[in-house]
Order: sequence, then structure tokens, then C-alpha cells
Amino acid sequence: MISIDRLHHVYPGGRQQAARTALHHLSLRVAEGELAILSGPNGSGKSTLFRILTGLLRPSSGKVAVGDFDLFAEPAKARALMGVVFQSPALDKHLTVIENIRLQGVLYGLSGRLLESRIDEALAWSDVKARLDDKVMTLSGGLARQVELVKCLLARPKLLLLDEPTTGLDPSSRRAFLDQLARLHEKMGMTVLMTSHIFAEAETAGRVAILKNGHLLAYDTPASLRQMLGSEVLVIRSSNPDALAARLEGEAGAHKLRRYGDELRIEAIEPSQSLALLESVLEQHRGLIQSIAIKQPELEDVFLHITGHAVGPGGGENGEQAA
Amino acid sequence: MNNAIAIALAKREWIRFIRQPQRVVGSVGQPLLFWLFLGSGFSPSFKPPGMGEIGYLEYFYPGALLMMLLFAGIFSCITVIEDRDQGFLQSVLAAPVARFSIVAGKVGGAALIALFQCLILLVAAPMVGLVPSLGGTALLLLGLILASVGFTALGFGIAWGMNSTSGFHAVMMVFLMPLWMLSGALFPTMGAPFWLQTVVAVNPISHALTLIRAPFYADVPTLLADSAYLGALSVALVWAALCLAFSLWRVGLVEKGVSPVPGK
Repeated sequence: MISIDRLHHVYPGGRQQAARTALHHLSLRVAEGELAILSGPNGSGKSTLFRILTGLLRPSSGKVAVGDFDLFAEPAKARALMGVVFQSPALDKHLTVIENIRLQGVLYGLSGRLLESRIDEALAWSDVKARLDDKVMTLSGGLARQVELVKCLLARPKLLLLDEPTTGLDPSSRRAFLDQLARLHEKMGMTVLMTSHIFAEAETAGRVAILKNGHLLAYDTPASLRQMLGSEVLVIRSSNPDALAARLEGEAGAHKLRRYGDELRIEAIEPSQSLALLESVLEQHRGLIQSIAIKQPELEDVFLHITGHAVGPGGGENGEQAA
Repeated sequence: MNNAIAIALAKREWIRFIRQPQRVVGSVGQPLLFWLFLGSGFSPSFKPPGMGEIGYLEYFYPGALLMMLLFAGIFSCITVIEDRDQGFLQSVLAAPVARFSIVAGKVGGAALIALFQCLILLVAAPMVGLVPSLGGTALLLLGLILASVGFTALGFGIAWGMNSTSGFHAVMMVFLMPLWMLSGALFPTMGAPFWLQTVVAVNPISHALTLIRAPFYADVPTLLADSAYLGALSVALVWAALCLAFSLWRVGLVEKGVSPVPGK
């Protein structure tokens, strides 16, 4: 559905600032009907990629195809296939909910009966039906997000692009929004590409892409990503991580020792051995350990593993902690 | 299709305008107060050579109309920056919408608002003895629309790339306001220093002012036979067209990445 081919973007430098490369020959394919999540630390190039996909920015080089259309050669045709939910609300606060929705319909070439029937269809997915004549500025954050989603659905997009859509929502609104998205994806079979830095959201995705410094570091199903870390992880916090790391190096079972900031991790442990390993580490280095735990890897751990690895293998000062 | 989009965007401008009473009061009130205060204050001492018994209230009246257009245009252009700032613009830009529709929607909406305000001030015209003929009213309307399109399109083109309304205020004070001041709206240029007369002559706003002033004083056949009026009409037309082209060009510009620096 969407095919990104060797996309490269360099922001021009100014007098005070050197030119900055935001995307390095990035290639990524999202198959039709897939729900893909794009994650990465701040400054990883997510937003740049998103701005390019929505046509707000032209890349230095590379190609993007949406459906059968080249995004840069036939932007109108490609855009007609996409629905976009931006991170910052794209609603006119002074207009009512229904006025915003109608205006969006007209922008996508809908009018008359067709527009009305599409509005009914799109509203069926939301909880804003009771608030149609209220000004958008009176809505809660969660409802405003739903209006954005309704707006998007009017044109029956084949591809839904969402940029951090749950930012600023409380946990229950976030859940409601994601459930809605999952139902939509399932019932209407649309392709969804969403950026997010919340890993709980990524668990439900078909595939997760991890971006850092403009490079695509991983792109796989959540299950396969978790397998990269083996089955269990030992997480150790220490008052003196340098000393502890030095002592753990070379010890039996600790060959997969890595460091992320002040945290040490021994990854890819067989479940049968993890408890024994914990006991032996604790016994020998008691004085240096503040806390120690066995953990089943979650996507967040994978993210840490992958993005930390890219900076400096073995950790040290280059090791990075996910925000 | 394009028309429907432009009309929908213009309608949005109108709804926003009506829902912000401060804006209505501000953009109608300021020119009205300027006209009444300056007009009443200057009238006793206003004795321009060769213009007969014209009072300043009457002289300044077309200038006040022009000022209203200018202010309506400026307010509309500030909303360009607000739309970008508040995020509304991104959904328009991401939609399969032609750039002409974006410009036409904004400029059309602004012209609509400006004309509505002028209508309020036009009620006062008979009070200063200015009663245009029916045909004259049509020509006056044409002049008002042309000037409004020119102002708004110019402001739109300037505001498009800006991200702060305070920056736009600076542009307004040092560029747009002087264009109006040096158009003959405030004072007759007869007897003014030569440089000032030259500036006024090349200022397209002066010609737009001619289009607004003349219909009050002459009937349609006279105007259409008058080379000065026709000259002003063509200058104003070209000016409005150029400003529109400038806006279209600005909207068409998309931020682009640079080529990678070799060796990096």
C-alpha cells in the first residue's frame, strides 16, 4: 500500500547551523491491510518521515508510492487515498463539530447526498454524535481526536496515517481511541501507519518499525522483535555500574551483558537458568547492587536493546536510555 | 470542484468573522473613528487649492473606505498565520486541494467581509453629500472588490511563510500602512513635494483609491470615457492580478530537503 524507497532528507543549514541529515536512505514497505507502528526516540526522523508522507515537505531524494501513485509525481491522486490525523489538532476551534466535518468532506470533493451519507457512516464509529452542534473548543481532548478520525474517514481512505494520535489523552481516552482504530482496521481493512512512542500501543500492531537517527533499525512483528532478546532478561541497577560491569564481564552466563545508562542487563537467558543466574550474581556482588529483577522482554526492552546498540555496543558513555 | 472548495473555505472565513464580535467591532470601528475624528478635526482648516468647497470629512471618505479594506485584509492575513499555528492549515494542505482554491478561499472570504464592512460605512455617504448613481455604485463596488483582492492577496503572500503574528504586525506598520498613507487617502497631493507626488503616482493603491473616489463624482459614461479613470482601472487590475500570482507562487513553495553534502 505504501512503499518508501531510499528516502533521504537533509535539512538545509543556516549561518549558525550545519545541514542536518534527518533520514538516511530509508526504505520501508507497508503491505495492504497492515497496521504498522513507527517508533523511535525523539529526533529519530519520525516526524520528518511523516511530514514527507503528508506532502508538507519534499525530501532530498528517494521515492514514495501510495497505492499505484507516485506521491511526488501525482500528489493529488496519492493524497486522495490517504486520511491523515496530525499530532497537533487540525480542527477549527471556532467552528462546530459538524461544520468542521462538512468542510473536510468538501476538501475531499464530496457534496450533497453523498457527503451526508458518508458523514453518517463515519459518525457511526465515534462518540461525538451528541455534540455535533457544539464548538470544537468546548470538546475534551479525547472527543476532539475522535472528530479528527471522523474527518479522516469521510473520504474512505485506503491508507490512514496517524502521527502520535494519543498524545495528551488520558489512559481511558487513549484506550478508547486505539480500540476504535483496531476495529476500523479490522472491519474496513484499511492500511494504517501510525507513529507512537508508547510501547503498549505497539503490542497490538502487525509490524513495528524502529527508527533512530534516520536509520531503520528493525521492522518486524512484535513477537519476532521480542525473540531478539531471548526469553528472559536480568535487569540490574547499581550504585557503581562501571565497577559492577567490569566484574561481571567474562563471568559465566554474563556473556550478553549490556549497559543502558546506569542500568545493566543480561539478555537472552534461558528461563530455566535465570533464577540461578540471579542468585549467583546477587551473592557475589551484593554490595554493588541496588536492585535486581528477572523480566520477560517487552517491546520497550527490545527498543532499548536496538536503539542502545546502535550508538555504542557494550554501552559505556554512549549507552542510551529510552525516554 | 475547485469552486466548491474555495466557497467552503470562504464560508469558513465568514463564520469565523461573525463569531468573533471583537473582530467585527475592531475592523469597522477603527476606520469609522479615524474618519469621524480626523474628518471633524481637519475640516475647518482644510482648504485644498482648486478643490472648491470640499470638506475634509468628504475628502477623507473614500480613503476611509480604502482603510477599511486594508484592515479587513490585514485581519484576514493574520488568520493565515493562526491557521498554520493552530494546525487547521495542515489538514487543508494534506488534502487533495489545488493551491488556487486555498488562495481563492482566503482572498474571497476576506473580500466578502470587507464589502460587508464597507456597506456599513456606505450608509454614511449621503450624510457628507456623496450619493453615487446606480451605475456609479456598480463601479464603486468594482473598485472596492479590486482593492480588497489586491490588499488581501498581497498580505496573504507575505503572511504565508510567517509563523508569528507579531512579525506580521511589523510588516503591516512599515509596509502596508504606508502604502495606504501615500495613496492620497489622507491628503491631496497637489502642491506636495515632488518626491511625494512621484511615490503617490507609482503607488498602485493611489489608483485603487481613484476607482473608489471617482464614482461619487461622475456618472458612468463620463468615467468610461475618462483616460485617467481607465488608466487607474488597468493599474489596479494588474496590481490585483500580480498580488494573486505572488500568493499562488508562495503557496506552491514546499519546503525541500537539500542535496547531501559530498564527503559527509
